[in-house]
Amino acid sequence: MMHKKEWRALDYCDDQKDRAEVEQDAKQKSITKQSSEEWIIIKDSEGINVTTTDTQAAVSLQVGIEVAIAVVLSITLADSNQAKAVFQDLEQVMKTKQSNRQKTIVEKSKNVSVTTTDTDIAINIQLLIQLLLAIVVSLDIL
Amino acid sequence: MMSESSKKPMMPNKVIEVMVDSIFRKNGVKPEEVKDNLSEKQREMLKEMVADLKEQVEEFQQKRNESKSE
Repeated sequence: MMHKKEWRALDYCDDQKDRAEVEQDAKQKSITKQSSEEWIIIKDSEGINVTTTDTQAAVSLQVGIEVAIAVVLSITLADSNQAKAVFQDLEQVMKTKQSNRQKTIVEKSKNVSVTTTDTDIAINIQLLIQLLLAIVVSLDIL
Repeated sequence: MMSESSKKPMMPNKVIEVMVDSIFRKNGVKPEEVKDNLSEKQREMLKEMVADLKEQVEEFQQKRNESKSE
């Protein structure tokens, strides 16, 4: 079947930013997105009891700390390339803890209890706040 | 073991400290020069921001521990 090429925002990028910068912006968004993906799919089932922990709050807290780290770096480091380079190095550490995406599929089942925990994100939040504190202490802000 | 995670950090602070230091060093960041880039107001704002986030993390960890012990 022939179909017309879909309109895509990225095909018509009028943004004055150079390409690298655009890519970087996109990358940063995708990273934050990764951590929030929790899927629970229930199919052909009954009596399924799902308990999820407060992942959404955890995710926004995580994003908040990540943004805070970026803000601290961009304010304190006058050279934006330097700030970017530092953030990229830090990202390596932050990202490793972020790759866990959770998918739970319940199919053709009856009376199942599902409890998902946010262990990974909690560990990540802990790591991020330690990182943020270490940065501000090191830069003598606190 | 899990309930201790909020009290005892998973990653020792010293490790983080060394890592941050090495990343700054690698990228030529000199903390003593950085100080001059900050106005007093900015410093105050950053301080507040960090304190606020720290508090939120503590609250979050506490809630987590409570729901676990139920």
